[in-house]
Amino acid sequence: MECEIDERWKLVDRIAEETVTYGDGKTTLKDAIAELTVKPLTGLPIALAVLYGFWSFFSAFAGFFTDGFFVRLFDNHWLPWLQGVFPGKGSWYYFILVGDPAAGNSFEAFGMLTSGLFVAIGIVLPAITAFYLYLIILEDSGYMPRLAVLIDTLLHKIGLHGFAIVPMILSLGCNVPGVAATRTLQTKKQRFMMITLLAIFIPCGAQLGVIFSLIPEFAGIILLYLLIGFIFFGFILHKVIPGKSPEILIDIPPYRTPSLENVSKKLWVRTKGFFTTAIPFVLLGVGLVNVLYLGGVIDWLAEALGPLLTTWFGVPKETVGPLVAGFLRKDLAVAQLSAIEMTKYQLISSVVLVNLYFPCIATFIMMMKEGSERGVRGVLEILGGSLLVLATVLFIWGGLLHLIWIMMGVA
Amino acid sequence: MKLLLIGHPNVGKSVLFNRLTGANVTESNYPGTTVDYTKGYMQIDGEEVELIDVPGTFSLDPKDKAEEVAVKMLKDNEDSIVICVIDSTKIERGLYLALEIIEMGYPVVIALNMWDVAKDKDIEIDLQRLRELLGVPVVPTIAVSGWGVKELVSKIKDAKPRDISKIESKVEGTS
Amino acid sequence: MDENMKDKIGGLYFGVFGIVVFLVGILEIGLGVLNKTVHFGPLIFSGYFMLWRGAILFFAGIFYLLSVKKFSDVHQKAKAMVASIMIWIIAGTQIFSIILDSIIGDGSRWFNTWEGFLSSYAPPYIPSIILLPFTLVVAYYVLSNKDTDEKNEMIE
Repeated sequence: MECEIDERWKLVDRIAEETVTYGDGKTTLKDAIAELTVKPLTGLPIALAVLYGFWSFFSAFAGFFTDGFFVRLFDNHWLPWLQGVFPGKGSWYYFILVGDPAAGNSFEAFGMLTSGLFVAIGIVLPAITAFYLYLIILEDSGYMPRLAVLIDTLLHKIGLHGFAIVPMILSLGCNVPGVAATRTLQTKKQRFMMITLLAIFIPCGAQLGVIFSLIPEFAGIILLYLLIGFIFFGFILHKVIPGKSPEILIDIPPYRTPSLENVSKKLWVRTKGFFTTAIPFVLLGVGLVNVLYLGGVIDWLAEALGPLLTTWFGVPKETVGPLVAGFLRKDLAVAQLSAIEMTKYQLISSVVLVNLYFPCIATFIMMMKEGSERGVRGVLEILGGSLLVLATVLFIWGGLLHLIWIMMGVA
Repeated sequence: MKLLLIGHPNVGKSVLFNRLTGANVTESNYPGTTVDYTKGYMQIDGEEVELIDVPGTFSLDPKDKAEEVAVKMLKDNEDSIVICVIDSTKIERGLYLALEIIEMGYPVVIALNMWDVAKDKDIEIDLQRLRELLGVPVVPTIAVSGWGVKELVSKIKDAKPRDISKIESKVEGTS
Repeated sequence: MDENMKDKIGGLYFGVFGIVVFLVGILEIGLGVLNKTVHFGPLIFSGYFMLWRGAILFFAGIFYLLSVKKFSDVHQKAKAMVASIMIWIIAGTQIFSIILDSIIGDGSRWFNTWEGFLSSYAPPYIPSIILLPFTLVVAYYVLSNKDTDEKNEMIE
């Protein structure tokens, strides 16, 4: 049945009369603030402040535990005691477990029980706790989804349409849940892109922690270089890979005060996860590298890869050891790199390399698991594809940094 | 299934379109006209659905080229679900368009966009009552911040054709 | 107090304060670029991320100044509120760091001495800590707004 224009307007008026009232509602301060945080012009300065808050809180918290307590505990008490009582100085197992008997600090001893424990508990644990605490507060207050909307709006503008921010932010904690979170993405293309980009460019919380603790002065430039790489290669992958990338919809809850109970519960669950997965891997990583040293494998690798490392990437061949360790734990790799003697530009390059090259083993396993849902072919697609992208990115982006140093005349 | 996004010009329709669809948005010329329209894809419960951003139109009684295209698009896609985007601050004008579309027999979902602006202007809309009267899903949204967009998508499958005389009798019955 | 009058005073206050915050921001950016440390009374301009802090104050100052016109509007108050939150973040994390630093002792001592503990809290401070008390005025305006707020929570 059709009705005439007048009749229709009458109907509209009747409906409006019944449902619309003028003058009662009022925007609350919360709504007004929520609006300011998602609009790019006001949202970006706010994000700048939130990011600063993260860095400042993080360095105070991690500095307090690492420099204030763990460094003293390990260097003044644990290390001398262990060096004194551990039997078999000069033997292979002493080398693997305790490392250098003359080392003056836990950091440079390179044993499983010295450097391994120190890196895992002394450096990474405080860092990861601080990181998660801040992240959880941002999540529970409702800021995180708004930050996601803000970044999403910006990414739209540079052509990365419909991008998932949530896995990216999760990955800053640990790449493993980040890879798992890509399940929320709709298409194969999106999942592949995100998993690959995450594994290559996003440093995990532990790694960030070590970077912030040991070489804070270079943190900015390293992260910026990785971020630009993420956007650049994301753009290229988006163009190259066939398939669709629909928009990701997220819930935007209202702002609220985070509850202490919820925050502490989440913090406990996440740091517990760290204890059970990360610490064994750090210890294993140190052990593996030491075993490979003893077997001469590291020296052999350093000779074999040396020319490539020095001419293409511009880093000393001694970085081979940490790079091998990085396969198990990237935080450990960064820690070991910072103990090697080289120029600051070489250090920046090598930390970037650790980031770009092979994902750590936990992420690697997670990637296989993601692919396995689609059988052997899925695994091959994800791993084969990711590794191909990875190798390409590693050579281009790693080499480019060397080129930049050369052009600046510092390499 | 196809989705048509219809609404007046300047009600945040394109922003909503961007929030709903991802990449692979194609802009093309509607056959036989000089009017451009955009087309994209979105996912509903894992199913891929085409979404067409119909040029902004005030009514289905065409007065210019863009409105002609809008009407044509509706007619050419008879099996579509229509998302009617309404400016919450000018709800009467939007409702008029929505009623026209309902009359033509399309299943409709109404997005009351710019909900935040309506709140600023002290306009209160009784959503519950509006849903009752119209008998179609009505979802408040703020496209610029993404608020409500997810709910809007979840309500698309609830859209059903609605007889205009039922709406009339509902309205009569209460007043 | 008359609502109108109250908002006028608020606008004026944040106008003046906004200019101060803005100028301190520029000063910090300038000194940050030059990598200089300056002591001035109880104030100290120094540190790694002074440039960063300066940029935040710069924007906070702008937000305050934008909030001044028609301060009675909730959107305008929100700008002042956000600017204040930005300063709270800088000052808050700095105070947090001062507290943690005051606990640790130096040398082989695990904890600080009582004198050392107290002296950690002595000036100089970074500008944001000095600015902090002046931002609290925003709380007065927000709290006095609150009763209208609670009636109008977002419709869920």
